[in-house]
Amino acid sequence: MATLEDGLARWLTQQWGAEVQVDGISESSAGARRRNVLFDAHVGDRTVGLVATILPTVEIQALDPVAEGEVRTVAEQGGVPVPHVHGATLDDSWVGGAFLVSDRIDGETIPRRVLRQAAALGHGDLVVAQLGDALARLHAIDPALAPAGLTRPPDSAPVAAAIATVELGIESLLRPEPAFAYGLRWLRTHRPEEPARCTIVHNDARNGNLIVGPDGLRALLDWEGSRIGDPMEDLAWPQTRMWRFGADDRIVGGLGGVAPFRRGYIEAGGTWDDDRIRWWRVLSTLRWGLGLAGQAAAHLDGRFRSIVMAGSGRRVSELAYDTMMLIRP
Amino acid sequence: MQYRPDAIELLHDVAVLLEDRVLAAVSGPLQHQVRVAANLVRIVEREVRLAEAATVAERDRLLPFVDSSCALTDARAQLADRLLGAGTIEPDELARIHAAIVATLREDLAISKPGYDDWTGA
Repeated sequence: MATLEDGLARWLTQQWGAEVQVDGISESSAGARRRNVLFDAHVGDRTVGLVATILPTVEIQALDPVAEGEVRTVAEQGGVPVPHVHGATLDDSWVGGAFLVSDRIDGETIPRRVLRQAAALGHGDLVVAQLGDALARLHAIDPALAPAGLTRPPDSAPVAAAIATVELGIESLLRPEPAFAYGLRWLRTHRPEEPARCTIVHNDARNGNLIVGPDGLRALLDWEGSRIGDPMEDLAWPQTRMWRFGADDRIVGGLGGVAPFRRGYIEAGGTWDDDRIRWWRVLSTLRWGLGLAGQAAAHLDGRFRSIVMAGSGRRVSELAYDTMMLIRP
Repeated sequence: MQYRPDAIELLHDVAVLLEDRVLAAVSGPLQHQVRVAANLVRIVEREVRLAEAATVAERDRLLPFVDSSCALTDARAQLADRLLGAGTIEPDELARIHAAIVATLREDLAISKPGYDDWTGA
């Protein structure tokens, strides 16, 4: 059987049209489904540090690696810091799964390490300003340039689509549950207009998907959830409590305040809307609670038996509490 | 009846075993699963101690907002239906409902994640 080294070398040789050798393979911290494999590619007398992101083909749920590579390239051309993509394939015969290969960028990605570095260097506000800048650049891209694989909300109405998702989740998972009912009532009564303009949204631009070095934000990772949506949703998500890892006094990812995040976004040309962002924060928090309830349901009905998924059920009250704190009368 | 150790004592012993011995003996994904399992045993330990009183308190808290003298499950359902229905709820009552829900969540969190509700910001 061909080794991973072998498969990557043969694929890169075909991609680059020159003999490529691969070594120095190591696995970085793997996500739940995605494997990130770090390696060195040697072509002629040049060595390039690369990362292969590999997904078992059967488990692709959101964007496949080819579409993810396309959206990352569009983002890069718009000035968003992303690891440059060298190519992607759905052919699982090379390394046993679909994959994409991109530049390896040094820095911290694990949230608690990112927080430790920011505490040591005092650059958390800089990082969140740079995140604001990156998201403004992403949202400025003409959505017509978005790859065809990106999902679009029906009727260009992301607000209606999000409310429908929450209604369905509450109905199927958590009835009767006063906290979630209270949250949904608030979402309905405070429902904003549909956005004037839908854009490409990253959809998971939070601490944990950032590469951070001493100079600040180096790249935005994990684009598999990106789609077309309300840009304010992208600004709400990194502010939710889930991604502060206990550093609750710094609203944006436990790293910095809202003010530098906002400033970074506006200075890069973005239009910031506090009310919409608040609404999306409430919605995202509630929806995350429903996601956890869904994990517990998958465990309970036998679709995915796992003690970790079982434990998710006992986290639902955290999200209900966070929601209620956001919408205190 | 069961002779001692009682349920709380046994759950405590299982949690200590998982945390002090098993966790150190395993690695990788299994270590994460053992950590989660140990935490769940601690949750159940607290639930055995606290849940009964919390259930009574939750029902008492919900009764002012629903048809009186119903069981807790019915009270939850009635309040959820009121909140999701189109009927008006005056701001004063909505604030009292919010307070009741938060009080119940605090008792839930005392079981599932003590300290989580120390934070009351945004």
